[in-house]
Amino acid sequence: MAKQRLSQRIAALPLWTRLVLLAALIILVVLLSKWLVLLLLIGLGLWPLTWLVGLGVLALISTRRGGWPWLKAWLVGRLRGLVVPALAVVTALIIGAIVIMVTDPEVYAALSEGRIGAAIRVSLADLGQAYGALYVGALGNPLNILAGIGQWLTGGEIQPLWSSLRGPSDSLVQSVPYIFAGLAVALGFRAGLFNIGAEGQIGIGWLAAVVVGFSLPGLPAVILLPLAILVGAAAAGLWSAIAGFLKARTGAHEVITTIMLNYVSFRLSAWILCGPLEVTQGTCRTREIVPAAYLPRFLSHPVTLHWGFFLALLAAVAMGWYLFRTTWGFELRTVGANPNAAHYGGIKVGRTYVVTMFLSGCLAGLAGVSQGLGITHNIALGFQSGYGFDSIALALLGKSHPAGVVAASILFGVLRAGASRMQSVAGIPTEIVQIVQSMVIIFIAAPAIIQTLYRLRQARREEADIVFSREAGA
Amino acid sequence: MAAQAQTVSLSKGLSLSRRDGMISAGMLILGAIILLLGRFGDSPADRSTFTDQTLGTLFSLPSQATLYTVGIICFFVAGLRLYRGLGSVRTFLAWGVVFLSAFSFLVWITSGTSLNLPGMIQATLTAATPLTLGAISGIFCERSGIINIAIEGMMLAGALTAVAFASIFHSLWMGLLAASLTGGLMAVLHAVLSIRYKVDQIISGTVINILASGATRFLNVRLLDPAGLSTPGHFAPISIPVLSKIPIIGPILFTNDPTVFIMLILLLVVNYVLFATPWGLRMRACGEHPRAADTVGVHVNRMRYVSVIIGGLIAGIGGAYFSLGQVGTFEDNMTGGQGFVALAAMIFGGWNPIGAFLAALLFGFADALQVKMQILQPVLPFLNVPIPPEFLQTVPYVLTIIVLAGVVGRAIPPAAEGKPYEKQ
Repeated sequence: MAKQRLSQRIAALPLWTRLVLLAALIILVVLLSKWLVLLLLIGLGLWPLTWLVGLGVLALISTRRGGWPWLKAWLVGRLRGLVVPALAVVTALIIGAIVIMVTDPEVYAALSEGRIGAAIRVSLADLGQAYGALYVGALGNPLNILAGIGQWLTGGEIQPLWSSLRGPSDSLVQSVPYIFAGLAVALGFRAGLFNIGAEGQIGIGWLAAVVVGFSLPGLPAVILLPLAILVGAAAAGLWSAIAGFLKARTGAHEVITTIMLNYVSFRLSAWILCGPLEVTQGTCRTREIVPAAYLPRFLSHPVTLHWGFFLALLAAVAMGWYLFRTTWGFELRTVGANPNAAHYGGIKVGRTYVVTMFLSGCLAGLAGVSQGLGITHNIALGFQSGYGFDSIALALLGKSHPAGVVAASILFGVLRAGASRMQSVAGIPTEIVQIVQSMVIIFIAAPAIIQTLYRLRQARREEADIVFSREAGA
Repeated sequence: MAAQAQTVSLSKGLSLSRRDGMISAGMLILGAIILLLGRFGDSPADRSTFTDQTLGTLFSLPSQATLYTVGIICFFVAGLRLYRGLGSVRTFLAWGVVFLSAFSFLVWITSGTSLNLPGMIQATLTAATPLTLGAISGIFCERSGIINIAIEGMMLAGALTAVAFASIFHSLWMGLLAASLTGGLMAVLHAVLSIRYKVDQIISGTVINILASGATRFLNVRLLDPAGLSTPGHFAPISIPVLSKIPIIGPILFTNDPTVFIMLILLLVVNYVLFATPWGLRMRACGEHPRAADTVGVHVNRMRYVSVIIGGLIAGIGGAYFSLGQVGTFEDNMTGGQGFVALAAMIFGGWNPIGAFLAALLFGFADALQVKMQILQPVLPFLNVPIPPEFLQTVPYVLTIIVLAGVVGRAIPPAAEGKPYEKQ
């Protein structure tokens, strides 16, 4: 109860005091960012330890709140909703493992010679190597991390610690565009809109931010960086608002219009990147942005985590506030629950569609912005990376809740970062991740499969089911 | 659809919908563009020559005069439609104007040079083949009430297995069969998810697209390439014995890839089955009013399963076109969004096989034109820059958005599309 009381106490403060507190918090985070990130990465790399610490803290709290019964009730309340998603992910990973095993050429070689035992042994060894590489690529080698910490604490160099944290850092870097894009789709879902065009919006945001980043070289970073971010977000937002406008005015189904807008944007950016903005003939890429427009990194190489990660978390918080604490957010959710009732209740449904598609596009655009300003520093043809389509999985997995989307995005970031190491070490194409992801979507979208598979009791009623597409077509 | 409700009464007592007005306005704009192109893009002496490989010069038109004529026809039809409403021939005339405008664009591009016209038409037909197959697949699903945005994924999966099985059996026809079955298998997944588990059909379609793009690349790198199963060769054009000797029409219609013939045959069969058989009527009823269909004894969900799977089989054939029809190997993501253009063709053609075929021809023409333009490099008047071919590539998508928005034309999907059916 103390936490609630604290939040109530904060809510009771005058607005300006709260703003000052918020500003102070932001400044504190900025000042301590290096150490916060270090803690975050170590926590991710040594995740079993983090869980233990978390449970310990909970146990401490529970001694003041009524002991084990309280703790049990709290845990069950928190974890019940996680059962199906967790089982979905585990099942998908198992299917991925089976796919890796049955597509192993060495296994076929052994089988064709009739050595079944050898075939099984080879396939298991390959699988172990593959998932081992996946783990190390995504979360680092825990022994190395411990050794790095030990060396640093005993007064040695900090560099080995950085190197050992490369895996967690890569995972978080990969999760940045996922968070933005997942939030974009989730916001649309909340309003009953299916924004399938995140892929194109990512490209537009990326392109716009990069263009600002290299075409205004004289400006200081304080102006240039926010300007590039805002322009990127706004460009993608306006692009996506076309679909919202068409739906509001003519009823054109946003799924089809956003798909079509996707391909229009692909073709147009192909023209721009291989035409007017091409820096050297035949490369189909733009110039590099000036360093003032880079999203700064927290730490030195090889830890590439950049400020985009904090921006993504900020976006998640902002979206949660917008959805659940503002009138427009309430209208948005009402329209999503039942547009006719919303209309009857005096909500401007059309306006909500346009605004939601704009904001959704802004979020998707930020995914591109963070890639352009944080990682690549330019944009090249073929930038499409599947973030747009994966984001649908993220929104589903996170049940269209900002916190859920962030968690799902970090999971996908982990998978993606691990997959690149798996490809280089074990020679397994990174596309295995796409297979796993599509399985995750299937299991989340059809929970009945998981429930039958694991003999779970049917959930009594899904609280606040989110309706996706109400009426198809025009 | 706001446009349907609003009608304006004219003094003669005829009613003219807002859509008529918008279509006429579109025609007027088209006519104006063509006239401007004729006035400033061509000089009076330019001639557009159309040739044939065997016959030599077919005909030669004065470019400017042709453009003027087509522009005036556009104005005339638009005016007629505004004045009288045109009645039953209006759709026919609208398509006529569209194809005449496309032709006039061709005339403008070739002004001062010559162009192999049958070659161009054949390129259009070839480009339209996967689009039509995909669109027919979509029509099968959607007419029965299941949204299908997974055409792309079904085609991509088909393209991969076509290569694999054609290599294993050393027979391109086996590859074609395997492609079709793979498309059907993906459709089974789509059907089970959306009918049995009542998953949102768009999510189910997205899953298939993601799965297909990931699994095809994965299998190609991990199995096909190492096993040497990736170069089965490709289909050679087939000539139908007597008919292919007819000048001009012969090479266009009767000397083609097998997939083109399959597409043409399927087009006629599907059109017949959908609109002239009891089965087709029942199937369409499932998409329009499943409860009514159920009342008269149609098994709605069984019907939907069958339709979706047939759609998948057809989409798979479309996939084989990409790998076996053209290059004889599989490349990553080789459908390149054509599945979505097929979706566009389906919508543009009003969920009707013949309409979809016409739309596919139009989109295919844009594609063939775009290839030609990279060679001829026509220069826009006033701006003096060559038209980027990418602009023409956006034509299918932009047209679909315009049609969907009801600005020009109308796109009304089957009424019960996207809604799972539960027996009561």
